[in-house]
Amino acid sequence: MKKSTRVLSVILAAVMLVTAFAFTSCADKNYAANNTTIKIGVSGPLTGDYASYGMAVSNCAKLAIEEINAAGGLNGIMFELIDTNDEADSAKVSATYSDMYQKGMQISLGTVTTGAGIEFKALAEEDNVFYLTPSATGDAIPNGTNGFQMCFTDSNQGTASAEYFNRNFVGKKIGILYQADNDYSVGITNNFKKSIDESFKAGMVETSFTGKPTSYDSQVESLKDCDVVFLPIYTSEAAVFMRAATSKMKGDAIFFGCDGLDGIDTAVEGFDINTIKQEVSYLSHFNSKATEGPAAELIAKYNEKFDESKFPINQFGASAYDCVYAIYEALKVAVADGKTITATMSPSEFCDILSEVFKKDDFSVRGVTGECIGNEKSTISWNDDGTVSKNAIKYVVKEATA
Amino acid sequence: METFFSTLINGLSLGGIYAMIALGYTMVYGIAKMLNFAHGDIIMVGGYTIFLFLFVNPIVAIVMAVIFCVIFGILIEKLAYKPLRGSSPLAVLITAIGVSYLLQSFAQIIFGSATKFVEIATFENKLQLGPLVIDIPTVITLICSAAVMVALSVFVKYSKTGRAMIAVSEDKGAAQLMGINVNTIIMITFAIGSALAALAGVFTLLKSPAITPTFGAMPGIKAFTAAVIGGIGSIPGAMVGGLMLGIIETFSNSVPALSPYTDAVEFSILIVVLLVKPTGLLGKKRREKV
Repeated sequence: MKKSTRVLSVILAAVMLVTAFAFTSCADKNYAANNTTIKIGVSGPLTGDYASYGMAVSNCAKLAIEEINAAGGLNGIMFELIDTNDEADSAKVSATYSDMYQKGMQISLGTVTTGAGIEFKALAEEDNVFYLTPSATGDAIPNGTNGFQMCFTDSNQGTASAEYFNRNFVGKKIGILYQADNDYSVGITNNFKKSIDESFKAGMVETSFTGKPTSYDSQVESLKDCDVVFLPIYTSEAAVFMRAATSKMKGDAIFFGCDGLDGIDTAVEGFDINTIKQEVSYLSHFNSKATEGPAAELIAKYNEKFDESKFPINQFGASAYDCVYAIYEALKVAVADGKTITATMSPSEFCDILSEVFKKDDFSVRGVTGECIGNEKSTISWNDDGTVSKNAIKYVVKEATA
Repeated sequence: METFFSTLINGLSLGGIYAMIALGYTMVYGIAKMLNFAHGDIIMVGGYTIFLFLFVNPIVAIVMAVIFCVIFGILIEKLAYKPLRGSSPLAVLITAIGVSYLLQSFAQIIFGSATKFVEIATFENKLQLGPLVIDIPTVITLICSAAVMVALSVFVKYSKTGRAMIAVSEDKGAAQLMGINVNTIIMITFAIGSALAALAGVFTLLKSPAITPTFGAMPGIKAFTAAVIGGIGSIPGAMVGGLMLGIIETFSNSVPALSPYTDAVEFSILIVVLLVKPTGLLGKKRREKV
């Protein structure tokens, strides 16, 4: 090796070392030091195919912040939203994250979608940033230290569904149709069977299929006398099954799915949901067609402020609304516990305060997502692993046709 | 008892579909001595043809599907298999698998991978037979598959072309010496097999009206299994194997504890049959001359 190259390489190594230190020191710097408001960041798809999710989240978070500020904020400290566009692309998250971080984000709603959320989690864990995601349902998203969820985790939908059945379908004959070679479907089914009341088990019919079967005849034959058929499967399989089953099942039977059925009325090309005579519903935490109660109030407020023909409210938005209020309530609890909160505190300081409150056993908030009885808001609390605990609701895609 | 009979009828109609596909496998094997693994994907070609022409009228769509499948079957034979006639069986087998992937990939490029719902016709009425209630598509499938099998048996046994097919399958060289145009016979065999695949596609869509680029893969493999169980190369064998597999699948699916393992049950039966009777149930024993 020539001497000049050796010198060059030493210089280069030095430069690299310095840059490496420069990058790590980024995280140590408190970008929020000059904040005059508490800044809440969210990264979601504001354009593209999933814009309806991200825009609803952004709009609803703004709505909640406006309401909180109008009521005097947190003892006079106002809140502000920083929304960034990741187009539901996980590759864009590091950019949206640093953008928000450098703009002084102190608390976060994480991301709107799961893929992006996994990237976000890695970054937020490193910097100790608190996030409460409204709609990233992946099992890997919450961690119970700085990451929490407002929506049901994929695998927790089985438990939430069983609890819904226990409350609402007492005395009915239930059936399950699951896809035996699909983890999502098997996972939900196992959790469902663990949590369903013993009283259902005697008459419960359980059947399955694998792949895309040539015929659902045997499954229909097994399930035809059931009052409620639980379908933890995806839209295209469900569409074919329901089409085969509709004329053999009772008219007042119910097809009940999980979020796999979200979009059943539009997602399968050529499938007309009105050819199914029975009710088609799925587990959700917000009824975007509500006409009364807290959900309807939120819908009315949203429609007054935003153009619902462009980006209508949905479960994602409602969940974000609850997220902002949950963070606000948690900060109030912290203040009541004697903590001092200022607008210039670093993300890490906020994270320690908030995660302590969210981990408390008696911490719960009232929200519009989950089961609201009459005009009462729902009760929402969090498990130790950061997943949410609230009662699910049934979202009716299509009523039974008489 | 009612459940038993309705399961049996459902099994027979599913078996009818498998038998129709299995006939394609077995005839091509018997005559061209090759396994046409692209046969299952011909079903998919038929399905998408129906999807394209359904706006005109269901009958037109079905006729178009049969025509398209026949054209595809003949083209595949001419372009992919004929140049390989006489080469090693392995080369032909790999080519067949390649053609299968080619068809699937083309379908994915043209139609996308999302499921398309293709409802050929809706039948709100049911056939009431005493306490048994049977779906109209099931009845149609049963009757049509029975008719097709009878017609095919008669055709092979009594028509000139049919007997030429038997001759080619028995001894290609001797048949050629007797003035039979082997190439034409092989082409006709592919055409008949593809037409049967198109019909199988129609009946599959009547049962489960959703189509994807891999629509034909699983029925294809099941039917191939049926053909082997029945004895590949034997036409009655394919029918028996198909019906047997359909009935086993339906009964296995109707037992909750067994239904996740239906595929395993079906393929285990293949293994058992091959262990006990290596030539299949109705397969002829061939003495290999060394």
